[in-house]
Amino acid sequence: MNKMKKNIDRRKFIQNASMASAVGALALGALGSCKSAKTPEELGLPPLRKAAPKGKKLKAGLIGCGHRGTGALLNFLSAGPDLEVGALGDVFPEKVASVRDRLSKYKLSVPDDKCFTGLDAFQKVIDSDVDVVLLATPPYFRPDHFKAAVQAKKHVFMEKPVAVDSVGIRSVIASARAAKQMGLNVVTGTQRRHQRDYLACYEQVANGAIGQPLSAKAFWNQEHVWFRRRQAGWTDMEYMLRNWNNFYWLSGDHILDTHIHNIDVVNWFMGKTPLSATGYGGRHRRETGNQFDFFSIDFNYGNGSFSHSMCRQIDNCSNGVGEMVMGTKGYTNCRDKIFDLNGNIIWQYQYPLDKEGNPTTKVKVSPYIQEHIHLVTAIRSNIYVNEGERTALSNLTAIMGREAAYTGKQITWDQIMSSKSKLGPDKLDMNTVYDAPETPIPGTAIKNTSNSH
Amino acid sequence: MKRLILLFKRKKTLFIFLAGFACTLILIYPFNKAVSYTSTDNYCNSCHVHDHAEDSWRLSAHVNNKSGVVVHCVDCHLPPKEEGYLKAKAYHGAKDLYGFYFKDSADYKWESKRTAELANTFTYESSCKKCHSNLYPATISTKGADSHMHYENHNETMTCLNCHMHTGHYNPNYQHAQNQSFGDEEGPKELFTEATTISSFENYVENIPGSSVSFSMVAIDGGEFLLGSPEDESYRRKDEGPQRKVKVSPFFMAEVEVSWDEFLAWFGQTASEGRKEAETNLEEVDAISGATPPWGAPDQGWGKGQRPAITMSHHAAVQYCRWLSHVTGKTYRLPTEAEWEYAARGGKQTAYPFEGSPKDYSELSFWNKWLGVDTAVIGRYVSYKANSNGKSQLADMVKANPYGLKNMNGNVAEFCSDWYSADTYKNYKEEELIDPKGPSRGREHVVRGGSFRSDASELRSAARSYTETKNWLKTDPQMPKSIWWYSDANHVGFRVVCEVPENIEIK
Repeated sequence: MNKMKKNIDRRKFIQNASMASAVGALALGALGSCKSAKTPEELGLPPLRKAAPKGKKLKAGLIGCGHRGTGALLNFLSAGPDLEVGALGDVFPEKVASVRDRLSKYKLSVPDDKCFTGLDAFQKVIDSDVDVVLLATPPYFRPDHFKAAVQAKKHVFMEKPVAVDSVGIRSVIASARAAKQMGLNVVTGTQRRHQRDYLACYEQVANGAIGQPLSAKAFWNQEHVWFRRRQAGWTDMEYMLRNWNNFYWLSGDHILDTHIHNIDVVNWFMGKTPLSATGYGGRHRRETGNQFDFFSIDFNYGNGSFSHSMCRQIDNCSNGVGEMVMGTKGYTNCRDKIFDLNGNIIWQYQYPLDKEGNPTTKVKVSPYIQEHIHLVTAIRSNIYVNEGERTALSNLTAIMGREAAYTGKQITWDQIMSSKSKLGPDKLDMNTVYDAPETPIPGTAIKNTSNSH
Repeated sequence: MKRLILLFKRKKTLFIFLAGFACTLILIYPFNKAVSYTSTDNYCNSCHVHDHAEDSWRLSAHVNNKSGVVVHCVDCHLPPKEEGYLKAKAYHGAKDLYGFYFKDSADYKWESKRTAELANTFTYESSCKKCHSNLYPATISTKGADSHMHYENHNETMTCLNCHMHTGHYNPNYQHAQNQSFGDEEGPKELFTEATTISSFENYVENIPGSSVSFSMVAIDGGEFLLGSPEDESYRRKDEGPQRKVKVSPFFMAEVEVSWDEFLAWFGQTASEGRKEAETNLEEVDAISGATPPWGAPDQGWGKGQRPAITMSHHAAVQYCRWLSHVTGKTYRLPTEAEWEYAARGGKQTAYPFEGSPKDYSELSFWNKWLGVDTAVIGRYVSYKANSNGKSQLADMVKANPYGLKNMNGNVAEFCSDWYSADTYKNYKEEELIDPKGPSRGREHVVRGGSFRSDASELRSAARSYTETKNWLKTDPQMPKSIWWYSDANHVGFRVVCEVPENIEIK
């Protein structure tokens, strides 16, 4: 009886909900036919809770205590009740110390015996009785860390990029599929996929608001990013690790590190991954390391569809970060606005209002927290999430673009998917001597094979 | 009594229900008993006594492993319980009973049933995956994970058995690795130092310099014939027409398909990449590249020697011819499609160069299949499905055709130099063709002649087929895939022709 009532209630709710959305859609006029409109759930979009539900206490272990790692840990802790930090790990002791210092401001602490340093710190964190691991080291290490976490049966939050080369990508896909079999939840730090305006916009586009997507643009143009100068007493390896953001064997280059967000959004809205890439890139102003400071890539999505992808890290230029997808009926910035082909706004995201009643430009729940709410909700209420493979494929898209620019040649999806390319030394410790390859010169063979001594 | 009847009348439905329930119980109990009794390994093995079925299973990883897990017959040979187990059991059971009571085990060609294609009909993919649900366990190697990913990304064309054929039944000859020592076993023999010199247009025996290998070449007179089959030929396919009048110039053709001995003479002298340093001698072969080591056992464990060489790619066959030309000073190459058919016909415009029609021999015909076929004549001339036990045969097992060539129509299919097109004959513009060479471009090459796997209908001299590069490399786990060896085409080889040197006079 109880069950029946519940059913009726649910049916009623669904009716009401679809009525409401139908009315809303009519009012906005963006949806062509509201009857067949798919719900966010049907589109596979994440639940948008304000906080994760109550449930079993979850302890997180943070691997990689840099800026983003610290942020990810705080985001996790604020995702809901009964979330704790269980262990910390980083290659460098002062990084761990700085996270402990930060935590102390929230009256949180991690005991000494749960703080680990060195290159093997990741395994110690994984083995220290935590339920969730947060992976936030430079991406070079991610495939191995992810694999170790899954094999130890931990739920995972991992930052993008998830790998720097094809071998790493395949490892991540394999681990993601293993995680699925083992019922382990995996959320990745592609936070636009958890950002409410993007999600609402995607819902419109998936229901036909711009017709069939045809072409796209993705851009991440900004000033120069941080770098470190070498200090006395550092080995080569220590220097590269501390300045990882400027060596492509560690960072994957900035087309992976930052631009991957835009590339991921284009793949998402286009509903597929590209077939090939051709592109340019170069290095003009960078002071350290060996990577490029600009890329311009043409991704071919087949049947004449394409996306122009560009990213730059040079001061005193025109900047901007975002996406645009053009369809047969209109276009969108993928975030808060949809236009018809004459440039009229046909849909706009309703941001929350501030105290004076003016619309703000920020969504209600920060996407950085929303993604952790999703992870914790998934763990506690048995709705499964695994974004590992999806993010790996967008990551591989970025790698395909990078290799196209590095080599000057067209690179196909099949080539990059099966490539044996593996960046960095075969084995790594603080004294490993590894000659980071020169900055690639298009049109010449890349000398980036392993040559550690 | 009256009360009882009354009660029965009142509670009629209840009684009927109870009676039905009891009957069901009585029926279900022995049924379940019977199902489990007939699903034990002992029960299966009591009938399946053929060819070490039980022994090879006991030696396999499914029994003989450290974990102590035993995978039973029905675990692989029937689908999982929820997915049509009983239906499949009834089907296989009925078939087995029929076979057991009405057929003789000795008549079955057990050997020929050990192919990936057939294995897929006796085992169930869903059963593999029921136990092996995680394809990426902690212990898997990177190569293994890559291969499983390849399988999952192509699951409409790939099956578990493509790579794990011998997991359930052990096969000592099976090797899933690059075969570094392939072709090494040949011991030192007397070596030819010079190739044969030919001074007239007659049959000759070629000696391969630097090896102890020789082979026979047959002089084929030039002539005229009709390329393709008439529309009324049984089992004819559209690509065999329209028939065209073709003039063929004289040439030499090998009496038999290129043997392992011949092919390995090339492989041993040129194969370099990935092979042992000492065996590399690039200068001697004048930059004709040699094949990389094959994956697994290209000879399928059937033996090498005079058996036809198989599984090499079309590219490898062309390279072999280039090398053979280089070491013998003659011009060896693959036959054109026209030369091939001209030679195979041996002067006959009938479907076969021997007596009989496809209708008499083909098992595609319902009556032939059930009543049996008189294979006396065809069996003397061709190695094919009915007499080959599912593997390639030695070259001298059959009689030659009127031109003196053996097994043109069977044993292993043969590469031609032409690109394949279904419209090749239609697209020739000339009225009479002289030494046609096929379309100027294409994707796949012509393959001619049936094989040990073929039904009689595919042995017709006019029957055409072609290379299937993608399909034939399905299970090659290497990235990129080999250009030298097909991992999934054990029925294809080739035969060489030699051009007549200019200084030789033809009467």
